Amino acid sequence: MGKTVYVGMSGGVDSSVSALLLKEQGYNVVGVYMKNWSRDLPGMKCPWAEDLADAKRVAVKLGIDFKVFDFEKEYHDKVVNYMLAEFKAGRTPNPDIMCNQEIKFKLFYEVSMEQGADFIATGHYARVKDGKLLRAADENKDQTYFLYRISEEALSHTLFPIGDMLKPDVKKLAAEKGLHNAYRKESMGVCFVGDVGMDDFLKEYFPVTPGDIIDAETGEKLGVHEGAVFYTIGQRHGLNIGGGLPYYVVSKDMDKNIVFVSKNLNNKEIWTRELKLTDVVLRTNISELGVFRSAAARSPLGTCERSEDLAPAAHGRLPLGTQTARRADGPAGRDPELEVLVRLRHRAPLIPASFDGEILRFENEIKRPASGQSAVLYDGEICLGGGIIE
Amino acid sequence: MIYLDYAAATPMSEKAINAMKPYLAEDFFNPSAPYLAAKKVREAYEDAKNQIAHVIGAKGNDIIMTAGATEANNLALSGASHILYLITEHDSVRNIARAHGGEEIAVDKNGIIDLKDFASKLTDDVDMVSVSLANNELGTIQPIVEISEIIKKARLSRLERGIKTPLYLHSDASQALNLVNISVARMGIDLLTINAAKVYGPKGVGALYVAHGVKLHPLTLGGGQENGLRSGTENVAGAVAFAEAIADAHEHINGNRKKYEKLSEIMRRELLDCFVEPVFLGSRKKQLANFVPVCFPGIDAERIIFKLEEQEIYLSTGAACAASKGEKSHVLKAIGLSDKEINGSLRISLGEGNNEEQVVTAAKAICKVVGEEYARING
Repeated sequence: MGKTVYVGMSGGVDSSVSALLLKEQGYNVVGVYMKNWSRDLPGMKCPWAEDLADAKRVAVKLGIDFKVFDFEKEYHDKVVNYMLAEFKAGRTPNPDIMCNQEIKFKLFYEVSMEQGADFIATGHYARVKDGKLLRAADENKDQTYFLYRISEEALSHTLFPIGDMLKPDVKKLAAEKGLHNAYRKESMGVCFVGDVGMDDFLKEYFPVTPGDIIDAETGEKLGVHEGAVFYTIGQRHGLNIGGGLPYYVVSKDMDKNIVFVSKNLNNKEIWTRELKLTDVVLRTNISELGVFRSAAARSPLGTCERSEDLAPAAHGRLPLGTQTARRADGPAGRDPELEVLVRLRHRAPLIPASFDGEILRFENEIKRPASGQSAVLYDGEICLGGGIIE
Repeated sequence: MIYLDYAAATPMSEKAINAMKPYLAEDFFNPSAPYLAAKKVREAYEDAKNQIAHVIGAKGNDIIMTAGATEANNLALSGASHILYLITEHDSVRNIARAHGGEEIAVDKNGIIDLKDFASKLTDDVDMVSVSLANNELGTIQPIVEISEIIKKARLSRLERGIKTPLYLHSDASQALNLVNISVARMGIDLLTINAAKVYGPKGVGALYVAHGVKLHPLTLGGGQENGLRSGTENVAGAVAFAEAIADAHEHINGNRKKYEKLSEIMRRELLDCFVEPVFLGSRKKQLANFVPVCFPGIDAERIIFKLEEQEIYLSTGAACAASKGEKSHVLKAIGLSDKEINGSLRISLGEGNNEEQVVTAAKAICKVVGEEYARING
C-alpha cells in the first residue's frame, strides 16, 4: 500500500478527479467531505447534503474510504466571525482566503495528519515545486490567489493533483472514467456564499440602518441607503439613485453611516498608484528568487534597522498561518524592494509593481480595490505571498 | 431498473393518469363557477371525495382534501395544545406536535407503541394523540384499536369527573392505506391522514378525515372551500386520480398483501446468503407486507445504495427526507439501534412493479456489494 492521502472532496468535478488521479497513482486515498456550512439563507438553499452525496458517490465509485469532517463550529468562529468583523469595520474581506488559511490548510490538514495521513490533497488549480507555490497550468483557473496565506508546513504535505491540467481535460477525464458529476454545474461560492448572496448573508447579521448617500464631489445628499455595511467600494448597483451616468461607491464613513458616491471616473478616491498592505505573508525562499531591486531609493523604510523587520506581519488583525513573513536579505545597507507581479482579484490580470514589504507601487494608476481585499504577489509563476489592502 | 423504494414514492397507475386527464384540459372549470359545465366538474369532485371516503368507511363530506399528507398532518394537529405522539412518527407530525405541547410516547424494539408509557402520559390536559397506522421506515403496524380503547376510557373518565378537555385520536395512514383495511369508526379514529402519492396516485394530493365534532384550526383562509378548513380552488384532477388509485388499491388489497408477503419472504431468504448476516428490523407479524427493513451491522448502507444505483437498483436507507438532510434516523434510534446499526440499515419496500425474478436479482446484487464492502473495510 502506498502513502496515505486525505483528499478534500466537495462533490465537484475538480476534487473528484483529484481523488481519481491519486488512486491511479497508487496512493491509499481517503475522501473527506468538510462540512463547513449547512444553513439555508433567504433565496439560497444550501446544497451541502447533495454535495456530500455527490462526493460520497464518487468515493464509492473509486472504492475508497470516505469520511465527513464537521468543521461548522470552527468555520463559524474563524471565517464567519472574521468576515462580519471586517464588514463591520467597513472593509470587504475575502472569506475563501480565510477558509483556506484556517480550515482547509490548517484544521483539515491537522486532523488528517492526526488520523495517519502522509499528505492532504485538494482539487485546487495550483502547483507545488520545491516547496514553492506555483500558478496552475490552466491560467484561466489558477487559484493561488486564494492560497497565498496557507502555511508552509501544510503546503509541504499538500498535493494538487490537477494543478498541471486544463479544466476541459479534467472534465473530459471525469466523463471518460464515468464520474457522474463530470458536467455538474459549478458551485457559486468557493466555501459557502458567492458574491450574489453576500448582501442577503449580511442582512442576516446586520440590521437595516438608514443612512445618507452623499456625492463625494459636491457634498450633496443624493438619497438614503440601508446601512453602509452593505456597500462595497466600487459598487455600482443597488444605490437606487438614478439618472444619467452610474454612481460608484468611492468611500464610506462607517461611524457616521455615510456612503460617498461619485459619477466622476476621475475622482481621486477611485485611482491610486500605491496600495498599503497589512498582514503581509511572504512565503519562504524569497531571497533566492532574484526579484530584488538593489536600489532602495524609493524605499520608505529608510534604515537598515527597519529592514530587520521588513514585513509587518503578525501584528495585524488577521490571525496568521503558521508561517511568519521572512526577512528578505537585501544587499547590506540598502533596503530591498521586490519587483513583482500583482493580482488584485481572482483571475484579474497580473500587474507589474514594486514592493517594499508594506507599500505596493504601480507604474500606472490603478482602480483602488476595496480595503480588506487581498493583493497577491508573483514572480513569474511563483506565488510569493501577499497581504490585505488597507 | 429494479425499484425497491415504494414507501418513498409510487409511480402513477395508468388508470389514475387517464382519470385525471379530462380535468386538466377540457373539464378545467372552477367547480364553484355558476354555469352548468362547472357544475359537472363539481359533481366529479364530490364523487371523487365520496369514493376516497368510502375506502376508509367515511363520507365525502368528512374529507378535507389537502396538498399531501404533510399538510393533512399539520391541519390535524394545528388546533391541539397538548399532543402525545409516537416517537417514531414522521417529521410532518413531530414538528407540528412539538409546536403544540408535544410529548413523545415510547416504542419497543420492534417499533410498537409502549401502551404503559402511553397510559401514564395520558393526563387530563392531553387533547390529542397522534399514532400512525404504520411506520414509514419499519412498516410497523400499530395496535390502533387498543389505543382508541384507552382513549375512549379516558374520555369517559373525564366526562364522569366533569373535565371538559376534548381528546382526539389522529392517525397517519399514508403508508398503510393500500395494504390495511381501514374503518375509522371501527378503529375509533377521529382524524386520519391519507396520501395519494403512496398508492399510485399523484404527488401533492392528500386528505384528512375529520370526525364530526372535532374542532380544527384552518391553515389557509380564503374562499371557504372544504368546510372552511382548507380554502383554495379544488384540485379536481388530483382528487379524481386519487379516487381512482385508491379504489383500485382497495379492490386488490388481499391479493396484493399475499403477493408482497411472498416476495418479501423470498427477499429475506435470499439476503440470508449475504456474507454479513442481516438483521431484519421490526416484527414480521406486525409489519406491512411489502416492507423489508434490514440492517448489515458494520456496513455503510449509503455506499450500498450508491453501488446499486449503478446497476439501476434503487432502495433507500430510511425516510427519503431525513436521508437527504444527512440526519440519522430517529425511528431506528427509537427502537434502540446503535449508530453502527443505523448506518448499516436499508429500507426495502416492494410494490406493484416487482416480481420474483426482480427480487432474487436485487437480493443477489445486495449480497454482492455487501460482500465487497466487507472486504474493503477489512482490507
